[in-house]
Amino acid sequence: MKKEVPLFITFITGILLVIALFVPHKPFGQLQSTFNDWLIIVGGFTMILGLDSLLLHHWEKIRRRKEGWISSLALILSFCITLIWGFGEGIFFHRNPFSPSATFLRYFYTYVFVPLQATMFSLLAFFIASAAYRAFRAKDPNATLLLSAAALVMLGRVPGGNNIAPYVFGIVFLLAAYYFASEGAATMGPTRYIYYGLAITSLILIYPAGLILLHYLNGIADWIMNIPQMAAKRGIWIGISLGGIAMSLRIILGIERTYLQ
Amino acid sequence: MRSLFEKMGQIDRRVIYILVALAVIVTILLKVKFKGAPLPEVRHSYEVINNLPAGSVVMVSIDYDASSMPELDPMLRAMLKHCFKKNLKVIMLGHWPLGLPLGQLALDEIAKQYHKKYGIDYVFLGYRPGLQAVMLNIGKEIRSVFATDYKNTPLDSLPMMRSVHNYNDIAVLIALEAGSVGDAWVQFAQARFNQKIIMGTTAVITPDEYPYLQAHQIVGLIGGLRGASDYEKLVGSPDIATAGMASQTVVHTLIVVFILLGNIGYFALRRRH
Repeated sequence: MKKEVPLFITFITGILLVIALFVPHKPFGQLQSTFNDWLIIVGGFTMILGLDSLLLHHWEKIRRRKEGWISSLALILSFCITLIWGFGEGIFFHRNPFSPSATFLRYFYTYVFVPLQATMFSLLAFFIASAAYRAFRAKDPNATLLLSAAALVMLGRVPGGNNIAPYVFGIVFLLAAYYFASEGAATMGPTRYIYYGLAITSLILIYPAGLILLHYLNGIADWIMNIPQMAAKRGIWIGISLGGIAMSLRIILGIERTYLQ
Repeated sequence: MRSLFEKMGQIDRRVIYILVALAVIVTILLKVKFKGAPLPEVRHSYEVINNLPAGSVVMVSIDYDASSMPELDPMLRAMLKHCFKKNLKVIMLGHWPLGLPLGQLALDEIAKQYHKKYGIDYVFLGYRPGLQAVMLNIGKEIRSVFATDYKNTPLDSLPMMRSVHNYNDIAVLIALEAGSVGDAWVQFAQARFNQKIIMGTTAVITPDEYPYLQAHQIVGLIGGLRGASDYEKLVGSPDIATAGMASQTVVHTLIVVFILLGNIGYFALRRRH
């Protein structure tokens, strides 16, 4: 019975909600509304459940003195102070304790929580810059396509990018020309002429590449965003949606039972 | 010279960090500005709001928190300025409880600037758990989920809410998104109730929303700091996003330079080995 009852409830609920989507009239339409109300109520209680497991997890870490237990202690202390102070404001000062206009919570939120969270995420800019430098290497055709698209979109989607790009790529072509020329000078045999040819090609390409970037960079970036990017996204989304439908059917029909564990 | 090329592929990450920090700080301090036309999708969002008749109701959903504040907060402020300039009425709610106070602070501040009154020109509803259920129930009767505002004032006591019952009474929904709540707005408010949606998103999730824009499931898309900066310019009130955009241009250029230098170094090293 421990398995059959939840499976039966899932089946009935799933089927009724599917019918309600296509038949929005009474009694099904009303039923959907009732289920939505229940979902909101259950959603509220899941927060308590989440809180319970969060606190237990961190309490265990403190009790067993596991690595990083100090952070767990900070979490529990912050939780208790916020909760007690919040209730205190409500009980003793008759202010809405969860409103941002409540003094302590407002102070805590504005001057502790917001700066901490913003700082954590602003660090990403540094990591992304470093990761882009290390990861975007033209190791094979796919990686070359990825780094070319990234460079073009990064410059094409910022104001003034089309004015900056010719100089950036110009300097790079110059460096490339110098590199090929120095390789040519250091190499013996006919291969040196290939290097010299590449050096001259790099120099010749500076002007036309600059012109193309100046006039068409924004268009190229928009094209990458609107055509290949969107085609890939649509493919991914369609795949996810089909997977979602398949998984929903498996749950409704009781084939997928991992949620019972 | 050959070793210099090889060094280009092995730049220490601390050098990158310092250069990125300098690029951000110096550009902001020097108040550098770059000219650029607003993106078409941002201009279209602006026009949708601009063409609404005075008194229309706009719903703003705060679905982000402090981590995405640098991109979405300027967007929110620019859009609120536009709404209040046009004498539109604003309802604010949200699905990220920790981000909602940011929305409320901005709403109170901008409303004060434009001498707008609570309950008459704007209302703050707050948060209700349930996400999709909240969206679906608003389609039937907003009071079924928000019987009161955040101060526990019954909605019917607020003059501007007396005529608002469901999506039919909301001209445009402005969804400011840092996650997947925007998808739910499209699936439940637009697909089920044909609600017009303008989405403001962080740059990271903007590419995810382009299919909705092309399929006309959203009427406008304001992506990242660039979108916020474009909107500030369109409203005629360049602010923090416009200032930040210049540093973003410089940092993007720096990253592209690093990528290109890294590749020259990579080829130099590969040739050696």
